Amino acid sequence: PDSGAVLGLDADLKVTKQRAPVAKLDAARLLSQNGIPKLRKNARSKLRLKGKGHEFSDLGRLLNFYQLWLDDLYPRAKFADGLAMIEKLGHTKRVQIMRKEWIDEDKPDLKTYTS
Amino acid sequence: GRDVQVVDPEVRAHVYSLVTALGGFNGEDASKYCLGDDALACLRDIRKWLKLYDDKTNRLDVARCLAEANLVNGDLLPILTLCRETTGSKKKHLARIALACLELLVPLTWPVEIHSQMTVNHHRHTPYLQQAQVQYKRGILDRQAGSHVLRSVIQIALPSLALPKSERTNRDDGILKLMLYLCRNVAMISPLRGLAAEGDEEETSRSATINAFQTQDVFALLLTMSSNMGDDFNFQDVIILEILFHLVKGVDVHKLFMDDAQRSDKYKEELNDLLRKETGVSREYAKTAPTRHARFGTMIWVKRDDAKVSTVSGQDVLKNGQAAFNKMDQTKKWNRPKHVGRKREVEAASGDFNATTHLTSAATKNLRTFVEEFLDTGFNPLFTHVRKAIEREANRVLDVNTRQFLYLVSWFLLAERVRRSSQRKRHEKDKGTSREIEPDSFSLVAGVLNQETFIFLNRAMQYSFDHGDWQDLNANLRCFSQILLTVQEMAASPLEDDQEIAENIQNRIFYEETTHDRIISIVRGYKDQGFGYLDACTELLHVFVKMLENYSKENTDMQIRSKRRAKRAKKDSSENKKTENAERNESEEEELLDAARVSKERKFDFKRFASRFCNQKSIDAFMQFTTFYRELDDEQLKRAHRFFYRVAFKQDMSILLMRVDILNLFYRMIKGPGALDNAKPIYREWEELIKQLTRKMTKKLDQRPALITEMLFSKINSTLYFLEYGHEKQTVSAG
Repeated sequence: PDSGAVLGLDADLKVTKQRAPVAKLDAARLLSQNGIPKLRKNARSKLRLKGKGHEFSDLGRLLNFYQLWLDDLYPRAKFADGLAMIEKLGHTKRVQIMRKEWIDEDKPDLKTYTS
Repeated sequence: GRDVQVVDPEVRAHVYSLVTALGGFNGEDASKYCLGDDALACLRDIRKWLKLYDDKTNRLDVARCLAEANLVNGDLLPILTLCRETTGSKKKHLARIALACLELLVPLTWPVEIHSQMTVNHHRHTPYLQQAQVQYKRGILDRQAGSHVLRSVIQIALPSLALPKSERTNRDDGILKLMLYLCRNVAMISPLRGLAAEGDEEETSRSATINAFQTQDVFALLLTMSSNMGDDFNFQDVIILEILFHLVKGVDVHKLFMDDAQRSDKYKEELNDLLRKETGVSREYAKTAPTRHARFGTMIWVKRDDAKVSTVSGQDVLKNGQAAFNKMDQTKKWNRPKHVGRKREVEAASGDFNATTHLTSAATKNLRTFVEEFLDTGFNPLFTHVRKAIEREANRVLDVNTRQFLYLVSWFLLAERVRRSSQRKRHEKDKGTSREIEPDSFSLVAGVLNQETFIFLNRAMQYSFDHGDWQDLNANLRCFSQILLTVQEMAASPLEDDQEIAENIQNRIFYEETTHDRIISIVRGYKDQGFGYLDACTELLHVFVKMLENYSKENTDMQIRSKRRAKRAKKDSSENKKTENAERNESEEEELLDAARVSKERKFDFKRFASRFCNQKSIDAFMQFTTFYRELDDEQLKRAHRFFYRVAFKQDMSILLMRVDILNLFYRMIKGPGALDNAKPIYREWEELIKQLTRKMTKKLDQRPALITEMLFSKINSTLYFLEYGHEKQTVSAG
């Protein structure tokens, strides 16, 4: 018997090229180094708000800060779209747990508070 | 190509031969219509075709053939004119022919609409027939020809109309119905929005309909019938309701009650607003417009962290950094795919009352005269009668009638209020010359301000909310807002009786906690129901909260009835029984769970109530509403402003507004691109609000660095309190 036919050596190989996967803005990306950790770090060092008397320039500065961060994180999306996507991610369990942790870091030591 | 036969040729041949045999413009006087010898029989045959072929087999073939043969404009309308003009011995025969014409006109003008159970045949014929019906309407309203078709139709029904109710036979009732249905059809047919109109659109507009109704005494007929509703007339209430609905839907009440000078002022003001908006747009463009030619080729770098740069091209970005940021965002090509929900069922366009209609000044005058007379005589009898019919689920009532009823109640209540205020103004103006007038009481609209109506309203609201009939709910919300506003005006009336009644009504409205809960949950439940709905529910919340606040301030010990879960004690007692008879108790406990809500009176706490609508969902709804800020009028902008103000400063929940997308919207409203018109007073109010909010936010960011991440998300309840106040909530044991 023809071993080639049995083993299928002669048959044409069909190569289907896989589409390159589209990068997604998901919880993993949001929590990665480039995501919220970077946002927190930068906020401390880069974001300076002037306070009273400069309300609208402050607001503009804050929005620009977020916009640049989002552009780095996920360049594909427009600002408003990206915000909506992140807001939606905020409802997932994983992100919620992290959010709780970040807030808890802020909290004064519970013992000293209650005493 | 091959001719496609859309209709069976034999059917077409039959129908055409009947139409030809009916009569025509020939004989010695070519301008006069000559009836065929067997005209009456022909009319009856055509009717049989319509009935036995179209209706029985659920097609529109015969209607299509008749439209192509130009039966209505070529034959029926000339015959009706002929019948009206002839007197003498032939009168009786002609009256029968006229009636036969009417019997054909009604089904031919019956609106064909897109609905969920259409066959291939329907899809084929509907657009053609809709076009044809607009032509029919044009023929019926035709002013140049001087053929008063509507008046002739009323004349056909006059003998039946004159009879007392007890002596009317089925045939008489049928004739009345035909007459009213023809009026309804005429009012209902409207030129299709998507299709180019043949000829003048004005001839079939709402204004033309109103003017024809005035000159041909249809308004007089409607007034007579509605003011005698219940006495002389009974079954006609719903059809009259429909006619009214199609006449007034979308008509701006405020413009209706202005006199000509005021209205032209108003139009000027609107034009001014528009022009200013346009200059605003062009100025904004001019600010960033290139000062050199399009190929000048400027390119800049925006320096970023980590030695990265972004490139942006164009000279406009040189001016300020903000423009560069906007441009960086705008040049992105990808859009977030929006989830499109389940495809909603087709909504018939004729039931839509959200689109506004403009009237000519003659039509405005006619309609206003009618509306005033209707309020004086027909409002109470008609609306009471219709409400009862709907409640008892009478055979003649259709689902859509509830919506029409609610919409009309809201429309006429607003009309009554506007009329009163315009009267008041007029009296103030010539105070010196005319004598003091007695203040009117609100009895003219009392028919919809009684306890039965409130029960009806509440039930309808709950029903449409549960079933997701958003258009119905929309009408309901509008109705409820108008009732509240009317009651508020009543409370301010100089008449003591009115005040007392208003007090009573408010008591009843605010007494039920379920009403409060429902209104909150309606606003919270907003999701893609369209702008009209959003407008209605935000208005209701605004009006309701404002009045409730005032009312609870005046009545400090206000009680409400709340239904809550039964106390533990009851359950304990049932558990004791359980040991005795376990089996029987199982079912009993289920029952108990069902009925575990007891009514209880307790003191009303406005602060608590207000805090309940300060949640993320209702803020989202108002935020959706505010995204339309370029199209909103001052009153609507004020509504949104008050809501956000209450959330941030009265309820101390500003943390809920600290979300980047909300702040982004607010920033755009003030600083652009596409900012509010800064000449308007409402702009200052918004500016102040956003300023205060930003100030608060800056402070908060300092105190709690975690906010920088939380600003991206909707807040979670468990961390909300901490973020707002900086410490955990003290749980106080309820005393």
